Amino acid sequence: MTNRERAMALLHYQPADRLPAVHFGYWPELVTEWAEAGKIPKDLAGRWYDGGEIDRELDKLIGWDFNWYHTTGSNNGLSPRFEHKVLEVLPDGTKRVQNGDGVIEKISPGVVSIPAEDDYLLKDREAFETLYRPKMQYFEGRVNKAYYESFNENVYDKSDIPIGLHLGSVIGEIRNMTSVIGMSYLMYDEDEELFADIVDSYADMQYRCAEEILKTGAKFDFAHYWEDICFNSGPLLSPELFDELCARHYKRRNDLCRKYGIDLISLDCDGVTEKLLPTWFENGVNVMFPIEIGTWGDQFEAARNRFGKEMRGVGGMDKTCLRLDRAAVDRELERMRRLASLGGFIPCPDHRLMPGTKFELVQYYAEEIKKIKI
Amino acid sequence: MSIFQEISEKLQKGRAKDVSALVEQALNDGIAPQDILNEAMVVGMNAIGEKFRTGEIYVPEVLIAARAMNAGLKVLKPALTSAGVEPIGKAVICTVKGDMHDIGKNLVKMMIEGKGIECIDLGVNVEPSAVVNAVKESGATVVCLSALLTTTMNGQKDVIDALIEAGIRDSVKVMIGGAPVTQSFADEIGADAYTMDAASAAEVARSFMLN
Repeated sequence: MTNRERAMALLHYQPADRLPAVHFGYWPELVTEWAEAGKIPKDLAGRWYDGGEIDRELDKLIGWDFNWYHTTGSNNGLSPRFEHKVLEVLPDGTKRVQNGDGVIEKISPGVVSIPAEDDYLLKDREAFETLYRPKMQYFEGRVNKAYYESFNENVYDKSDIPIGLHLGSVIGEIRNMTSVIGMSYLMYDEDEELFADIVDSYADMQYRCAEEILKTGAKFDFAHYWEDICFNSGPLLSPELFDELCARHYKRRNDLCRKYGIDLISLDCDGVTEKLLPTWFENGVNVMFPIEIGTWGDQFEAARNRFGKEMRGVGGMDKTCLRLDRAAVDRELERMRRLASLGGFIPCPDHRLMPGTKFELVQYYAEEIKKIKI
Repeated sequence: MSIFQEISEKLQKGRAKDVSALVEQALNDGIAPQDILNEAMVVGMNAIGEKFRTGEIYVPEVLIAARAMNAGLKVLKPALTSAGVEPIGKAVICTVKGDMHDIGKNLVKMMIEGKGIECIDLGVNVEPSAVVNAVKESGATVVCLSALLTTTMNGQKDVIDALIEAGIRDSVKVMIGGAPVTQSFADEIGADAYTMDAASAAEVARSFMLN
């Protein structure tokens, strides 16, 4: 079986020859760490991204079949993006930088970390109408129609691995534009319609982008969202408000995908997702990813028990075992064997592999997971 | 409805302007500032903390309530100072070295202040030595340390080590929190408490100060 056939069979509860060895990439610091330790060639450090040349080189060195995060889409974010510029350099060398979303981040020298939000532009109706709404409009250049008109012949039919259509995000990218604090304030702004207007405007544009791609006849194995709207204690907003703001947009976009024959709709959300699952599931999302059990205790089995076989998963493998020893990896492999036997589930590390991950253990995991037959 | 109840309810709904106006009105009516703080605002924040802890409300509702609390405190603080009202204790709070994230830290700070505790906020990416100095200068009896990342959580241990080295470990209770932090990690590094949310953190800090 090809990787695509194997993965699609597993997610459709059909027989497959074995489990695939799939991954979700690496924190760049780990690739550098491996290169410096001589585990991989030095020229592989520093330029890694999902599905890129280095990613595929690492697949060969490690023994992975493929990186699950292999999607394609459109220019469906803010366009044009805000100018990336340094606004201020503080005495300790920390830079206050405006990013492409209009969020001001603090970046300190020598600190390797996810950037921290310091301020943001999207604070009120005026900022939305003058700065953001114009960047959320659909225009022809958002979708490369020529590319998608020959996509099946040039890309899809030549690919051995599943390819997803990236649908964007209903709320996660809005959070990126406002920061968590700004999103919270906007939700309860005196202008009660404002936050919903922002969500609706952005969603309408992303729907149109997806529609224009699908109208070309391009084929996809699944469709995919990125959200990241949960953290260690659960969602960053109430499930009721989330449902009120977002449900109709998931349904509309997912109905569109199904109309064009895409029956697997996956969604990437870190953190503890349990309380938002009903909105996603009831509105057509049926593959959860990456199911962060190691860091946050997110659970696939609980979701399966709750929603039944239509709820599928990719992920759920506690990546932290790859920093320990073979015995820890063996225990996780056994757990993966049990979860995979439920059907509709493909084991994959539950997020990007982090610094301290042992190269030899990753090779071992990739080798062993391929020996499991369902 | 009494003005205390009204302030508490507006605070819980995150109505910052209303809270400011009501606090001002209460002061004008001759109500003691410490009563406004304790009978209205702390009551409101306690209710928010409890609702957050039990999953009845989420981060946005806490943030807007805290914003309203701060708006009310801004009006109230000069009156509290004039009346010689002291906080129940002092806490030093920060996000540890190498970590730039402050949402969790700020939430804890807001909830702690809502308990009538003075909070010395050192910000993010803080050196252990800065925590030691702040404790020495302020006489704080509680230290709250936040970390968002698995790569930075060891910075919490570095602060504990620095407090030991400075000979002041026994004079403070060290509380840790943050997304990747667990009770077992707290035990491993010798912290006095791990709390999984801001409301619990504020409650534990208060209990440390009262006991």
